[in-house]
Amino acid sequence: MAVLINQETKVLVQGITGRSGTLQTRVMKEYGTKVVAGVTPGKGKTIVEGIPVYDFVAEAKEHHSIDTVISFVPGPFAKDACFEAVDNGIKFLVLTTEGIPDHDVIEIISYAKSRGTKVLGPGSPGLIAPGKCKLGAHPTRMFIEGRVGVVSKSGALSYEVGKTLTEAGIGQSTVVGIGGGPIWGLTQQEIIGLFQEDQETDIIVLLGEIGGSMEEEAAEFIATNVTKPVVGLIVGRAAPEGKSLGHAGAIIEGSKGTAKAKIEALSIAGVHIAKTLQEMVQIIKGLRGN
Amino acid sequence: MKLYEFQGKRIFKENNIPVPKGTLIVSPNQPIEVDPPAVLKTQVLVGGRGKAGGIKIWDSSSKLSELLQDMFSQKLKGEPVRAILAEEKVDIVHEFYLSITFKGNSATHVLVASSAGGVEIEKIAQENPGKIITLPIDPFLGPTAYQVRYVAKTLGLKDHRELKKLINSLYAVYSSYDATLVEINPLALTPTGLVALDAKILLDDKSRPRQEKLFSLLVNEQQSLARGDRESEEAKPDTITYVPMSGSVGLISDGAGTGMLTLDLIKDAGEEAANFCELGSITNPEVMYNAMAAVLKNPEVKSLLIVLIGGFNRMDDMAEGILGYREDNNLKIPLVVRMCGTMEEVGKEMMDQAGIPTYDDLLGAVREVVALAKEK
Repeated sequence: MAVLINQETKVLVQGITGRSGTLQTRVMKEYGTKVVAGVTPGKGKTIVEGIPVYDFVAEAKEHHSIDTVISFVPGPFAKDACFEAVDNGIKFLVLTTEGIPDHDVIEIISYAKSRGTKVLGPGSPGLIAPGKCKLGAHPTRMFIEGRVGVVSKSGALSYEVGKTLTEAGIGQSTVVGIGGGPIWGLTQQEIIGLFQEDQETDIIVLLGEIGGSMEEEAAEFIATNVTKPVVGLIVGRAAPEGKSLGHAGAIIEGSKGTAKAKIEALSIAGVHIAKTLQEMVQIIKGLRGN
Repeated sequence: MKLYEFQGKRIFKENNIPVPKGTLIVSPNQPIEVDPPAVLKTQVLVGGRGKAGGIKIWDSSSKLSELLQDMFSQKLKGEPVRAILAEEKVDIVHEFYLSITFKGNSATHVLVASSAGGVEIEKIAQENPGKIITLPIDPFLGPTAYQVRYVAKTLGLKDHRELKKLINSLYAVYSSYDATLVEINPLALTPTGLVALDAKILLDDKSRPRQEKLFSLLVNEQQSLARGDRESEEAKPDTITYVPMSGSVGLISDGAGTGMLTLDLIKDAGEEAANFCELGSITNPEVMYNAMAAVLKNPEVKSLLIVLIGGFNRMDDMAEGILGYREDNNLKIPLVVRMCGTMEEVGKEMMDQAGIPTYDDLLGAVREVVALAKEK
């Protein structure tokens, strides 16, 4: 099954004609993702990587069955594109765009929630269900099919973990990147909830980082709702205090948001804590009994 | 961007939020329009100003010029005092806390209010958690009438019409200025009504392109006050994050999470990073070039590690940036590059041809760069 996507997912790419949109569309298509249409206002009736491009989502829907959108639309236009996707009944929207003003992000997510659309992002690297579907930027060789579900704020860190697990022969059911914040659509906790229900996931990996309180909230959720083993890695143990480290959400203020506080909360919730990727491999091998 | 209190209060005043009558003083001899008793407040961007002695009362027993002289010679947590806001003293019946901000995990705006104002909200949360109410605000509706009535009741205010005006004005500032926080602490109940005795406003830097006029006004004002004390807030042409640290291993990463992991691994390997440097969402050869220039400016850097694992970021672009920098500059320190991900075949080929081997294994690259730093 995997979570959120599978081999049947039919994808529309918003912003397909941009440099990133075009390259990622090609890689997704090569991976086997069913990319059926693209939208860029003013570029209708063109073809990108063999995919028909439309001016509006509604026009694309007249010709194709679509259930999921991935958006590469740049910051100033991102909000409008999201409203359009939501208004057209899209149930799952992957928003890769970074740098969208906070007030726009809140409007996007509120609007989507009120109409039953799930938003992954903003600033999401996307997600990959190895062997089935890739929706986003995950480098393909770093992932193989298997039964470990991974959720991460950082895209690059989830590739790093995917690469290490794959090299150790540990496959993944789905690897999901929720974005670096400071505002999120789907949260760590919600993705963990999906993995808990997913019959193809046996072990859950939570990749967290310093700053905010999302890991602590996930810990509370895990303690009462999750029966599958969870392995956690929190990066930023060596981070200086009071400085934002590339992710808006990643800043330590006093003792709040430190790696130590998060590791403590997760440990209490029964999460197996790994300090390095190599330790993570050992823990997962132990849990699987090999 | 964080605003000075006087900037926040000017915005409040322009939006019909009552503030005390006041004058901004930028030199000890400047004539002022406020009579004693008055409150003199240093204008600094660091927090905890009151406890650090940055607020003084001017009454008939004290001499203004001496007070000002004294305050201007202060440094508050390292920040020199360049301006003082003199405000007439108001009679306070009660102090409340009121703010509007957002909660990232639930993606909602929230109105936060407490009847125990005048101290930091973190302290209220610790000592009187029951006295804080947090109400979600719909971005398409704004604060609703029933929410305002609820706040009025919680604060013990009989007349909710005045509070309604105030909350609506505060929300208007929050949304039309693209603020991430508007805070009034304390909000004073006086015999003549509600008055904002302090103003804390944070603006969303990501909104700068559409708030250009507002930002340039506020930034210019802050720069002319700081007179070179603070680093320039000018917009950078890229999205690089650079944070100096105290070690000897220079670090550049193309992802925040991987960058933080690498910091930890460098420390575990017995060295410390000289900096954190992450390329952010805009990556092209020039951004890599600029990142190398920024990191190598630091004379403490003994070896440089570039950690790349491309998703959206392309390795051909990164190779072009690294090789371009090496061609234009005489690299005096050893360079270790870990490269994999999108377009890696092309990127690695370019690096190979230039005689720079690339690593695939992060831990191996970290060990190598730490060993090289220790040799020096």
